[in-house]
Amino acid sequence: MAWRFDNPLYTLSDEESNKRAMELWEKESLGGLTENNNRLPVPVVWLLALTIVTAFAITFPLWGQRPTAAIYEEYIALMDTPEVQQIQDDAQKMEYIVRTVKAKGSKYEALQDRHPVDMDDLRLIKDDIIELKRQNADLEEYFVVGPDVVLANFEGNLKPDGTRERKQPWWDKGYTIDVFYVAYFCIAVMIAVKRLPHYSWQPDHHKYHHG
Amino acid sequence: MFKYLFARNEDIPPGTAAVYFGYSSIIWFIIGTGLGSFNAAKLAFPDFVTGSELFAFGHMRQVHVHAVIFGWISMAFAMAMMYITPALGNTRLWSEKLGVWNCFLWNVGLSLGLTLLWTGMTSGREYSDFPWIIDLYIAAFIALPLAINVWMTILKRRTQGIYTTNWFFGAGVFMVTIVFLVGNTPEWFQLTGLSEAYLTWWFAHNVLGLWITPVAAAIAYYTVPKITGNPLYSHRIGHLHFWSVVVFYSTPAAHHLMSAPLPEWLKSFASVEGVLILVPAIAFVSNLLLTMTGKWHYFVDNLEIKFTITGVLLAIPLNMQGGFQQTRAINWYIHGTGWIVAHAHLALLGFSTFLEAAAVYYGLQTIMRRKLYSLTLGNFHFWLLLIGFATYWISMTIAGLIQGAAKIYEVPYIDTVIAEHPYMIARWVGGTLVFTSNIVWLYNMWMTARAGTEIPAGRLPHELAYER
Repeated sequence: MAWRFDNPLYTLSDEESNKRAMELWEKESLGGLTENNNRLPVPVVWLLALTIVTAFAITFPLWGQRPTAAIYEEYIALMDTPEVQQIQDDAQKMEYIVRTVKAKGSKYEALQDRHPVDMDDLRLIKDDIIELKRQNADLEEYFVVGPDVVLANFEGNLKPDGTRERKQPWWDKGYTIDVFYVAYFCIAVMIAVKRLPHYSWQPDHHKYHHG
Repeated sequence: MFKYLFARNEDIPPGTAAVYFGYSSIIWFIIGTGLGSFNAAKLAFPDFVTGSELFAFGHMRQVHVHAVIFGWISMAFAMAMMYITPALGNTRLWSEKLGVWNCFLWNVGLSLGLTLLWTGMTSGREYSDFPWIIDLYIAAFIALPLAINVWMTILKRRTQGIYTTNWFFGAGVFMVTIVFLVGNTPEWFQLTGLSEAYLTWWFAHNVLGLWITPVAAAIAYYTVPKITGNPLYSHRIGHLHFWSVVVFYSTPAAHHLMSAPLPEWLKSFASVEGVLILVPAIAFVSNLLLTMTGKWHYFVDNLEIKFTITGVLLAIPLNMQGGFQQTRAINWYIHGTGWIVAHAHLALLGFSTFLEAAAVYYGLQTIMRRKLYSLTLGNFHFWLLLIGFATYWISMTIAGLIQGAAKIYEVPYIDTVIAEHPYMIARWVGGTLVFTSNIVWLYNMWMTARAGTEIPAGRLPHELAYER
């Protein structure tokens, strides 16, 4: 099973190995079954390439995450205003807050829509968010998990102070590992199939088997 | 069966173990789907059978899941391995006696395990619900003897090459043993918290990905070329399929826990790998459909090909769903809803069941040298199973979308229950059709053994015309 590397995209096996493989391929009956040596059809190759690109592209926008504390900052700022205080009903209070923030325009509008809260939820996280603001913390680095406001589990770039950025990145080391993983896979499978006789050769199943 | 347990290996007719596994699998399929129908009735009609905790949904659901996975699916796999592995190596099964003991101990262990689950003794981890003592039993008396018999048969083959199906069989029994031993570490070492959650889903994901999916596919690699007489379209694509299953199916376990506090980079990695599950699926489907070239009339004429190609075609929606539903963009919406239940049934009751049923139909006829008793009943089984499955899958997918919307928009829970009630009834109807179809199947196979037309020496079942 000697190797040759002069034309790697054609074959990686020397002539003698290919000859033996072709003879065995035609001669041997595996429980009456035979196999052809067809290549992957070109449209399917493109479909696989599209799949690999899509696998990265569709997972880039990190949607569906937990809400960050930042998206409720504007809500909490409105909670103690006289306009909200004078409303008696909680549902109406919340509706007023949402309407007011929407009218002013918020960069978190889509996320606020996706992670609705009621007044009870806001009361539970209010103190934590006010305390974090007092400490000049970046609220985008904190998740709201039920009643708790916790440091997000993202591992972003290192900041000048040596700590990790905890914001939702568009790329993280999971993707980097994937790039290498997929590349190694493609190389390994290419080597495996290029060790076979070239696909321009097809076995003649009638040479040794009849009927 | 008992007379062969203590017989000499040479005195046991070839195929005996496969026949026992085949009939056992059908009986477990009836039990499993009967329990499924019962459970679905409890969800559709909340007042159905109340007052006993033994019949509570929480007890019965696990029994249903494990009867189907360990009874039907895995025993049908064992059946296929017992006759296909030696056939592809032009040899006999390494030990027919080990196979018969394997089947006997499998039935005993599974009955014991399901009884424990039924009485409420459970690890509480979905898909690895069995208590540790049953886990050990499964490893020692179910997985290992099967693996030894498959590996030894491959090693003792009379061919130089190994056909694609046997790569998957040999690797499948190896991978499931590792998955079982590692995946149950929370049970054996009292792991808790995130480690427990991750390993639970690592197990659940890989039982599907490294056992059920590849072994079911391996069966199709046998039945399609065997029955149509066509060569497998491509040995090269077989390589791509095999290695992409091993590489891309083994890694995305974290995508089951997209909302858990796992490292986000691990979820990113798993999510990309999750979409790449489409790579083996594309390789498998294209290879099998191209193998059918010029023989598509078999899809109408031949029962086993009808089952097999339906299973292959169901791999397309299965992997489209599986690949994309785990991305963050979609998972937040459908996670924890009936959509996932529908998807699990598409995998186990759709894709894999149709492939295994073909193997059991074909294997039993070939080994017993008896033509199927009634093609009409066979076709009736096919259509009832397909319609029952489709009713279940579609109704649960719709119910899942309703639940997803209700979850996101915080609709009061009771309103969701009311909205999905019609779909719960449809689910029960679908499940009951599946259960009924399997009773018909057992009758047909029982009659095949008793009164099927004898197949002359040197002929194969699909080469003979049906007499009924």
